[in-house]
Amino acid sequence: MHNLVPALQPGDTVPNGPLPDGSTLFERRGRPIILAFAPTDWDPAQAYQSAIFARLSQEFGSGEALAEAAPEAWHSLDYYGELATHLGVAGQRALLLLDEAGVLRWKTVVEPDQEIRPGQVLAALQALRPEPVVAPNLATTGHEVLTGGMSRRTFVMATLAAAALLALPSVVAAAPETTSPSPTPTDNRSAMLPVELNINGKSHHLQLDPRTALLDALRENLHLTGTKKGCDHGQCGACTVHLDGHSALSCLTLAVMAQGKAITTIEGLAKGDTLHPVQAAFIKHDAFQCGYCTPGQIMSATALLADQHTRHGSAVEIREAMSGNLCRCAAYPNIIAAIQEAQRG
Amino acid sequence: MHPFQYQRSESGSQAVAIVAKDSDAAFIAGGTSQVDLLKEGVHQHSLLVDVAGLPLRQINDFEGGVRIGANATNTEAAYYPAIQARYPAVSEALLAGASVQIRNMATMAGNPLQRTRCPYFRDLDQPCNKRTPGSGCAAIGGYNHVHALFGASAACVATHPSDLAVALSALDARVQTTGPRGNRTIAFPDLHRLPGTTPHLDTILEHGELITSIDLPAFAGRSHYLKVRERASYAYALASCAVALEMDGAKIKRARIALGGVAHKPWRATPAETLLAGQQPTEKLFQAAAAAAFADAKPLEHNAYKIPMGRNLLVRALLETSGLQPLQGPAGTAFAASVGGMAGQVATPN
Ligand SMILES: Cc1cc2nc3c(=O)[nH]c(=O)nc-3n(C[C@H](O)[C@H](O)[C@H](O)COP(=O)(O)OP(=O)(O)OC[C@H]3O[C@@H](n4cnc5c(N)ncnc54)[C@H](O)[C@@H]3O)c2cc1C
Ligand code: SF4
Ligand code: FES
Ligand code: FES
Repeated sequence: MHNLVPALQPGDTVPNGPLPDGSTLFERRGRPIILAFAPTDWDPAQAYQSAIFARLSQEFGSGEALAEAAPEAWHSLDYYGELATHLGVAGQRALLLLDEAGVLRWKTVVEPDQEIRPGQVLAALQALRPEPVVAPNLATTGHEVLTGGMSRRTFVMATLAAAALLALPSVVAAAPETTSPSPTPTDNRSAMLPVELNINGKSHHLQLDPRTALLDALRENLHLTGTKKGCDHGQCGACTVHLDGHSALSCLTLAVMAQGKAITTIEGLAKGDTLHPVQAAFIKHDAFQCGYCTPGQIMSATALLADQHTRHGSAVEIREAMSGNLCRCAAYPNIIAAIQEAQRG
Repeated sequence: MHPFQYQRSESGSQAVAIVAKDSDAAFIAGGTSQVDLLKEGVHQHSLLVDVAGLPLRQINDFEGGVRIGANATNTEAAYYPAIQARYPAVSEALLAGASVQIRNMATMAGNPLQRTRCPYFRDLDQPCNKRTPGSGCAAIGGYNHVHALFGASAACVATHPSDLAVALSALDARVQTTGPRGNRTIAFPDLHRLPGTTPHLDTILEHGELITSIDLPAFAGRSHYLKVRERASYAYALASCAVALEMDGAKIKRARIALGGVAHKPWRATPAETLLAGQQPTEKLFQAAAAAAFADAKPLEHNAYKIPMGRNLLVRALLETSGLQPLQGPAGTAFAASVGGMAGQVATPN
């Protein structure tokens, strides 16, 4: 499903549009509101009944304000509805937080199959959080603008939005940990760092959030998508690259920490049109089915054959040295055969 | 992931100073544990101080033993000739842990400081006193098959997952540190704590205290590490043990035994050590020692299987270390450490 409406960004003033209760967005100005686009069977009430909500409100000390502000600020909308199309989020699970002036303060779109971790939302909230107010009498009016440019009331709404986000049932149930969505409130960015990476003999200059894993820098920033993301937690080997000639997991390597190292990815093995002998052996021995694990397998295999401790290993030793690369298609016997062929030279 | 700042440290003292004055700051070395826990949201540090570039990577002969720099990788230490030959338990524990890629990244200081693999510790929706002090312990009334037999408390029943730590405990390695209050030497068996009422603290290290090296003291005996896991490779130990034996002729002069996967720290089996001293090695003796080692075990609902498993493992480790039974594979390799060999086969290298 493709939508042609340009996506709204935090900071944009949201255009007018109809709400399910018959009112319009413009009529609602003067109070922060949350627009939750979700499957129709979703019940927003569970957001403020959930344990996560309790934790968030405890964390941010906004419990009472929240409970009282919650029900009327909520707008649960059909994600295939008119407003969804109007705001450019048709067909997507999305949460939009509008402040008193009708400006978009926080927008999170949840891709199908994505999972949001409470820690991520907490982090987003930390960044939005107004500094503790110095004059306590100000805090009671509910409209004062605090450090960070967001009123306490809007912040309270953000807390609620976060709880709702975490209570979106299909979000929590989605199992694969293959993506790392970050909520995108206006200023949830760690200071960007200049990062220089030497990849396949070429130097690349990037500006990266320090949280960026080498894997994501390769795939998302440099579009070197040969390196695969399987588990994102060091458990599958799909993301294997070489750092200074040794195999390493790019999902557990911070990109900033890979500076000064020679990084080799699967794209760097072939010489022009001539495949690396291990690549050729993988083809000859049919050492893959779906091919998803294959770049990682090949990076481990080439490192194994370059290493004095493993290069002459028996089949059993090859298996042990390759145990960090899982293959769901179970092409293992063919992978071992391919490595043995490359080993013979 | 919680937003964090990143800083590379220029010197050990600078790294210590920065972390010591920021309660949310932490060191990062190989990153294999730290990055994983940051991604999970279990760790929410606001500043990461990179110590991987500090010149702490050397491995040297030292006072008749070996000094291993904090930043030496698990791979470098495992294959260091003097370690593989004279402290095979260390190489076996390292090579039977994690995967090649992870061992290439993981450092010798980072490995013993990895956090528990208790599944509830990583599940932010579950109470866990180690992650969130005071929230409770989901494992005590939950599924506790990988949890502790010894030294647990009403606050936490987690086990320590490091293989290396078990070998270092049996060998009485020494940990050199530099911290906000100067340098000190910690006997390895004292490094990790029992959970007590403060399970969020894994070790006695102060906030900002940096490990600079791990020293293996001079040792002329035999050592060996043995591990049982749910699959042949690339898995944590369900139970493990490290044995260090010094002989006097045909008799055992001194035995040191550390059990892994059964407590919040490598568990020194002191009753078994005492029972073995001065004795002639026999299978019967080893069975008595294993019985003594597990006499005080306090199983939870789902982990009583670890008692016979641990006893049998210890008997076998003692038989293999004393030479009454051959090793499963070459000393100092993963094959010696792996119960059942690799993919059901006995290793026949080259
Ligand atoms: C899939 C997977 C499987 C694994 N299997 C096993 C296994 O079977 N057996 C096993 O034993 N381990 C296993 N591990 C764990 C692995 O061995 C550890 O993650 C690794 O050893 C940690 O070392 P590091 O240098 O990467 O530490 P980091 O992640 O960089 O740091 C770990 C901790 O140590 C602290 N730290 C680092 N250096 C210092 C220093 N010099 N002084 C003070 N504090 C310091 C950090 O602040 C952090 O708290 C596995 C890991 C993964 C991801
Ligand atoms: S055993 Fe320890 S780590 Fe596991 S849930 Fe309980 S307190 Fe947390
Ligand atoms: S993506 Fe699975 S190990 Fe890195
Ligand atoms: S070929 Fe499909 S996962 Fe390995």
